[in-house]
Amino acid sequence: MCGICGVAGKSDNKNIIGKELLTGLLNLEYRGYDSCGVATINDKEVIIRKNIGKVQEVNVLERFDEIEGNVGIAHSRWSTHGIVNKINAHPHQSCNSEFVVVHNGIISNYKELREELISKNHKFLSNTDTEVIPHLLEELYKKTGNIEKALIETLKKIEGTYAFAAITPLSPGTLICAKNESPLMLGIGTNSNYICSDINAFIEFTRHFVALNDFEYAIISKDNYTIKNVYTGEVIHRDVQFINWDPELVKKGGFSHYMLKEIHEQPQAVRNALKVVDREEIDRAAEMILNSGTRYMIGVGTTYYVVLTAQYYFKLLTDLFIPVISSDEFDNLADVEENTVVIAASQSGETYDTIHALKAAKRKGAKTCAIVNAMGSSMSREVDLPIMQNSGPEICVLSTKAALAQIIILIRIALSLALKKKVITSEKFEEYEENLEEFPAILKSVIDEKSGFIKQIAQDCCKIKNWLFLGRGIYCAIAYEAALKLKEVTYLHAEGMSSGFMKHGPISLIDENMCSLFLIPPKEDKKTYEHTISNVEEIKSRSGFIVAFHFDDDTSLYSRNIKLPETSLFLSPLVHLVCSQLFAYFSAVALKKDVDKPRSLAKSVTVA
Amino acid sequence: MRALVLAAGKGRNLSSLTETRPKSMIRLCGKPFLQYTLENLREIGITDITIVIGHERESIINYFGRGDNLDLKIEYVIQEEQNGIGNAVLLSEKRFPIDEHFILAYGDILTSGNIFKKCSQSFNSLRAPVASIVLTPVAHRYGNIYMDEAIRIAKIVEKPKRTDLGNYVLAGAFILPGDFFKILKENECDMEQAFNLLLSLQGLYASIWDEEWIDIGYPWNILSANKIKMDVWDRINISGKAKIEGYVSINGPVWIDDDAIIKSGAVLEGPCYIGKNSYVGNNALIRKYTSLGMNSVVGYGVELKNSVLFGNSWIGRLSFIGDSVIGESVKIGSGTVTVNEKLEDKTISVAINDHVIDSQLKKLGSFIGDFTKVGASNTLLPGTFIHSNQIIPHKGTVEISEF
Repeated sequence: MCGICGVAGKSDNKNIIGKELLTGLLNLEYRGYDSCGVATINDKEVIIRKNIGKVQEVNVLERFDEIEGNVGIAHSRWSTHGIVNKINAHPHQSCNSEFVVVHNGIISNYKELREELISKNHKFLSNTDTEVIPHLLEELYKKTGNIEKALIETLKKIEGTYAFAAITPLSPGTLICAKNESPLMLGIGTNSNYICSDINAFIEFTRHFVALNDFEYAIISKDNYTIKNVYTGEVIHRDVQFINWDPELVKKGGFSHYMLKEIHEQPQAVRNALKVVDREEIDRAAEMILNSGTRYMIGVGTTYYVVLTAQYYFKLLTDLFIPVISSDEFDNLADVEENTVVIAASQSGETYDTIHALKAAKRKGAKTCAIVNAMGSSMSREVDLPIMQNSGPEICVLSTKAALAQIIILIRIALSLALKKKVITSEKFEEYEENLEEFPAILKSVIDEKSGFIKQIAQDCCKIKNWLFLGRGIYCAIAYEAALKLKEVTYLHAEGMSSGFMKHGPISLIDENMCSLFLIPPKEDKKTYEHTISNVEEIKSRSGFIVAFHFDDDTSLYSRNIKLPETSLFLSPLVHLVCSQLFAYFSAVALKKDVDKPRSLAKSVTVA
Repeated sequence: MRALVLAAGKGRNLSSLTETRPKSMIRLCGKPFLQYTLENLREIGITDITIVIGHERESIINYFGRGDNLDLKIEYVIQEEQNGIGNAVLLSEKRFPIDEHFILAYGDILTSGNIFKKCSQSFNSLRAPVASIVLTPVAHRYGNIYMDEAIRIAKIVEKPKRTDLGNYVLAGAFILPGDFFKILKENECDMEQAFNLLLSLQGLYASIWDEEWIDIGYPWNILSANKIKMDVWDRINISGKAKIEGYVSINGPVWIDDDAIIKSGAVLEGPCYIGKNSYVGNNALIRKYTSLGMNSVVGYGVELKNSVLFGNSWIGRLSFIGDSVIGESVKIGSGTVTVNEKLEDKTISVAINDHVIDSQLKKLGSFIGDFTKVGASNTLLPGTFIHSNQIIPHKGTVEISEF
């Protein structure tokens, strides 16, 4: 999973192209960051610079910002094929440098194509799948003598997922690009036109975007663009979308990390999930579930825990059990029929496993619904009912505000369904709605007034290597997510578990070196509270170190504790969620980890 | 841009250590507190600095002068009476142009990195007044910050009554508009009111400082500040002018300054600092987080641990000094021990200005003022404070008749 971007710029302003591409790379860096590169065509000359490392590091060596040219492309890589080295970094070029390409995705038949091209005397420098594209373009250009025809023939030959862009000295003002499955957008500027993997790349330069669909290609110059279908050759006219995000929003401001910024934006994200997301869409989703035979909720990584949490809410509010499946296992478990409904959650809307599962379900006739943050993403176009969560851009690789907003939207769907099923009265429904409306203020008080204590505990406990995150009922789902956050960002071993399950085996791990973090429910939730406390006592009696997030005043059982502000009972688990996000964040800061870009992780996982 | 540094405070709760110096002249690793602030300002290109001085001000003027040694242009403003931060700021009103932003720095805070760099980065990206803020679990002691999603400060509450707050607080570094003086004057030098007016009129943005930060409120904070400074050291730093005999063991980031003498058999466990012209005797053990000011003499077989010695002091043979702060020109007789923990597993409380304060520390030694002489064989209990210019007699077990 990588990020690509490109600029077709004004010929009398050739010295800004390098700076624009560098900006694009920096904005896309969260998509992948093991190497990066830039190529431009300066009149007839091809300039390629690339190296391994993060964008800023590479810029110091390769001076991207000083490159001149009419058109240019850039790439930040997160390798799938081939080891991380300078040769494997993009852009890649053909034998005679006539075509230079950046690519995001996987060409699945690259081995056959490569052998075929080698037999025609093409010389390959890297062992990437991407390199077949420029060679194919060159080979087919020789045959057809026309760049567009060469592109169409190339697209007919390659299989797999891709979004790629190419430039050529044969036509110094033109940028060509195509897409299948991997995301690609065109940005329409006043003096230049752009292409990019997502709209963050050039948000400083343009707010007008056109999305490309699968099996479409585009030919772009500084003041024109044409989109065509590969197979029909038909010219496609699509509306230009205007993005009204403030570009300052994608900057960190006074925050040191995007993660902290996004945690602080959660009250607003919740407000948007309550106010901006249309009631009609919520009702339609509830209707979909009501009229279904079988139903599933899917997600993977954090979004799996989002739907797992929602599963408890559906049971609590509507008395309906909805199976949840991790998207990657959907094929193996789900029993899909015509009256099946599949509800998915994805921040980027590009998550490979989830898209794959949705497509598979759709093929068998299922209805699909997705809660997505990124506008114009593949998933939002793929499903029958896309629900845009409007949480604003989430840059940190770890999901915080997007995940919370997804839970809120799923709660709204559950409430709507409960009303339709007449499980709750309209008075009760309104009471729940009021509780939801008060929730952002509670969240804000946790973030404002508890952060100092959470930071202190995180600093004191960050040297502990092994963690169990424990809770019961819905708190167990939160415990899974809390453990995931901690391991993603600190690289410590943390395991989420139901504290009832803990007794049946894992308790043998408990000693003074194992830290247990308990999510204690409010006392009003009598049964869950009492059961959780008895689990705390079991660990205490084995001299385990206990950190607790709790609502009541009794702290005698805990080694360290955070007292949380009270809220309505059914929203209490989400207070724990925010508290554990802050805990993971401050632990990572104390351990001096790269919070926004943890090792081996990328924002949207667009490969299998 | 110009900077205004507040260094007039006495540090009421620092007791014996500030009887003879302003808070900002407390020395860590050979440099006064204030010098760290001034060097941080110089690093971001601020050279015109006004310092407000008051209590024991001669020591600041004598040390920094006009700032020639630090490549700075320093002016002084005198605050005769300790009547609050607002008054201290307002004294410099005429020295700052009304249409220019300026940096306001509290002289009693210490950070691991350069807080002014972060603050000015935020200022440059926002082009609006900025206040550095920091998270602390003891928020009720400071100005509490509430901000909105765009990191604009929405409300400042000075020293709230609630003690269950772990909040962001003002960190003592600001970039403010020149007309702040006017706002302050109109609000009778009340900083809280002036800030709240500023944030409603022009907006005030927060810049989160997430590295180490400490304000020197209590004597033991000096030890934490010392630790913060030393924790960033990653290498041994030995002056070419130091004289080190054979069989000296040096482990970890040890810093030995010019003309120091380390005698044979001494063990230095880094991080620790041996100041200029100091003497470390045979078989002495200098443990982590010890800072020996210049001209210190440490006798044979002395053990020092997590302690700050301001300088010119003399520690007699076979003594133990742990978790303690020793003022300037103090003489400690041989065989003296600072006991640093209680027998029961409890934190140590001390009485400062007639208030009992829990230090929250299980290990705490003694705090000894300048020019005091402690006789041989004394045992100082945890949390002992000794004023400056005192004489504590030797402890003998055999009585002799006086002549």
